[in-house]
Amino acid sequence: MSNAVSPVAIPLTVVGGFLGAGKTSLVTHWLQQAQGQRIAVLVNDFGELNIDAELLSARNSDTIALSNGCVCCQIGGDLSQALLQVLNNPAPFDAIVIEASGVSDPWPIAQIALADKRLSLHGVLVVVDAQAVRQHACDPLLQDSLMRQLRSADLLVVNKTDLCSPVEQQDCITWLHQTLGPVPYVNSQHGQLALTLLQSDWMPEPLSDGLSGHVCTPHCTHEHASEHHHATDHGALFTSDCRRPEAVFHTNWLREQLKQTPTWVMRIKGWVRTHEHGWSEVQFAGRHASVRRARHAPTQARVLTISQRSVQSAQALASWLDTVFEECEVEGVK
Amino acid sequence: MHPTPITIYVARDILTMNPMQASATHVAVRDGRILGVGDLAELAQWGDYTLDTRFADCVLLPGLIEGHCHLKEGGMWDMEYLGWFDRLNPWGQTVKGLHSMEAVVQRLIEIDRKMQQSGAAPDKPLLAWGFDPIYFGGERMTVEHLDRASTTRPIVIAHANGHLMNVNSPMLRIAEVDEDIEVEGVVKFKSGPRKGQPTGELQEPAAMFLVLRHVGDAGLLSPMDETGMLNFARLANMQGVTTATDLVNTLSEADCAILESALAKDECCVRILPAFKAFHGTHGAAQGAEHVKAMTQRNTDKLRYGLVKMMLDGSIQGFSSRMRWPGHFNGAPNGIWVTAPAQYETDFEIYHRAGLHIHTHTNGDEASLAAIDAIERVLTRSPRPDHRHTLQHAQMVDAPMFRRMASLGLCVNLFANHLWHWGDQHYEMTMGPDRAHRLDACGSALAAGVPLAIHSDAPVTPLGPLFTAWCAANRITPKGRVLGEKERLSVMQALHAITLGAAWTLKMDHEIGSIETGKRADFCVLRDHPLTLGAEKLKDARVWGTVLGGQVFPAHTA
Repeated sequence: MSNAVSPVAIPLTVVGGFLGAGKTSLVTHWLQQAQGQRIAVLVNDFGELNIDAELLSARNSDTIALSNGCVCCQIGGDLSQALLQVLNNPAPFDAIVIEASGVSDPWPIAQIALADKRLSLHGVLVVVDAQAVRQHACDPLLQDSLMRQLRSADLLVVNKTDLCSPVEQQDCITWLHQTLGPVPYVNSQHGQLALTLLQSDWMPEPLSDGLSGHVCTPHCTHEHASEHHHATDHGALFTSDCRRPEAVFHTNWLREQLKQTPTWVMRIKGWVRTHEHGWSEVQFAGRHASVRRARHAPTQARVLTISQRSVQSAQALASWLDTVFEECEVEGVK
Repeated sequence: MHPTPITIYVARDILTMNPMQASATHVAVRDGRILGVGDLAELAQWGDYTLDTRFADCVLLPGLIEGHCHLKEGGMWDMEYLGWFDRLNPWGQTVKGLHSMEAVVQRLIEIDRKMQQSGAAPDKPLLAWGFDPIYFGGERMTVEHLDRASTTRPIVIAHANGHLMNVNSPMLRIAEVDEDIEVEGVVKFKSGPRKGQPTGELQEPAAMFLVLRHVGDAGLLSPMDETGMLNFARLANMQGVTTATDLVNTLSEADCAILESALAKDECCVRILPAFKAFHGTHGAAQGAEHVKAMTQRNTDKLRYGLVKMMLDGSIQGFSSRMRWPGHFNGAPNGIWVTAPAQYETDFEIYHRAGLHIHTHTNGDEASLAAIDAIERVLTRSPRPDHRHTLQHAQMVDAPMFRRMASLGLCVNLFANHLWHWGDQHYEMTMGPDRAHRLDACGSALAAGVPLAIHSDAPVTPLGPLFTAWCAANRITPKGRVLGEKERLSVMQALHAITLGAAWTLKMDHEIGSIETGKRADFCVLRDHPLTLGAEKLKDARVWGTVLGGQVFPAHTA
């Protein structure tokens, strides 16, 4: 039987992406640069995993424990079983990451986070090989699997940009946006991506220089002002918007609205009041929205939206959020 | 030193499967091996013997070989069977198939009553398996059915395809599944008084996780144990099987310990070839290959490590196999890759170069073609004589692909039981008439010269090679269709596919698969003569038991 519900749900992130796109480098990077966070990573197999020897603390056939408190578990035949092992660990983890297999659709996996109160779905990242993705999209054997993956992404991690010319890189992003719409993306090299993307309290600063998805590494070519300072030439990639809607919503109306969430929105999370459930939790992750009864009452309504920062989206985001959370209130149709 | 004793068995007939001596009346056995085959006068020349007449009215075949099944066939019986087809349990009883939702409910009521009578706690979950709504013409099971069986005891019914389950209201309450839950796989009533409430049908891993986290240890996810192994051996014995694969095994220390301790017992009367799970597994390919090679040092007469299992796609009836044009007959989208073709090729090459013997699951024809293409490239880079790599299931392979397989030295193990179990569904829903007529195209495989075995994939369908041979020889469906008359095997071809043919795909044909001097004394003992019964009644041949390495094992009967 399940354990007592811990007060804070553990954020669960699913990392998808094709064979060779760099998923394993990405999760290895997080495991090794955990900065005091206890991260549990579930992978299909240990085959390609390369953990620095000095970080290894214990290893058996299905678990690798790191000296920094992180673990990497092998899914083997059954994801439920692997996840239960992690959830039933006496010391709770700060974040759980599931690496999906190279050909699987991450969304069915991500839903497992909606199936346990101890978890909260944090997002679906899909790693893209900047050079190879368009070639894979032309392969008749792989095309449909690739598109299923890409369409599940909250955030595309355009990886291996170090192997591309700037023109190739831009062409890749143009192709992705033409194919999928303006889905949020970050560029990365060697799968080096900010750990903050896994954390539930992450919030880019609104309308000022926020956090870039990039992490400075020895591979960077720009000048580093200081070790962990982000050089301004990367710009801020994401922006946030926080609303405090006072209205009481109809759940179905809100669900319908959130089905229309613009493509450039990466994540929505918050609490509003609904006629049906009272305090309700609103979430948009894995490109799916949900509105459900809140587990505890917040002090006030609050909806945080994170989206890709761009000149076009800043205004569009504000006006879309107005439509959902502000304007209709006047007309009393919520 | 005295020579070990000789036993000569006399039989009504001995179908040797050795074409150079197809039939005989006597077989002599010494040291667990076949000393000679012929008549008594010939065999008596070896010296003192004991004449054993217990098979005098029986027919001996080589011990039957199941080239694709899973030991779980013996590990399901802690749970209740609710399938459409009759099924033999390890105690020799036939559990009747259930042909209506009402029959399923009545069976559950009966099981619940028995659980009460035996003093089981009222909240002890009732777990069942084998249910398949594909036979119920669109009618879905809901809590309205299951709550009639019990409103207090949690009921969990796993579907035959492994991707779905049904539960009753008490189980939904324990799992905290209500109208608010937003996991897509939780099916909800679309209309009626319960509109918006969960129906109790849970689809795919996320939805099933809701339940498995509460009852996972109680059967559905439990690992193989010794009891399950012994049950498997009893079922094998009742079906005349003396050698079987376990065609996905992690070969972890725990799993190997179970295999080794169970098979060390005489009563575990079967030879087992476990195949290492080389997809989504514990090792990268290079370490995996090393592991399998190291394990072969622990081989015994009854336990043979060394096979490798890879997997490319899903299942046809689950609409998850990878199909070529024109795709699914009912318009469903193409299925999924379990392993990306490029990954398959890379890993295949590593296991191949390590000298190992690889069995690949492919169901849809696109997956089979991807495997053939990949293997052709690997063999071009790294030729290896007599590799005997085998495509398993390969249900939609057509004549051109079989000809390529023959030229590459590939073997095939076709899923003949599908013709009966899902033949009508393939004709009507999954692939349509043309491709259903060449489903599991045994005739085409032999015409192209591809070494052929046929299988049950137990527990997906029941273990029983004579039934499998019947399927391949008749190609009939429950609705009376004949799928591809020209693809039928003759009785002798079908018997070959469950003996020497299967032995070839396992690289065991020098030891088992026919009754001839030097081979192991493994026999399937039948009360009826398969050639007298003919194709139509082949499945009705009564099994007396088996002989394994010269030791006689009468079948347990209810």
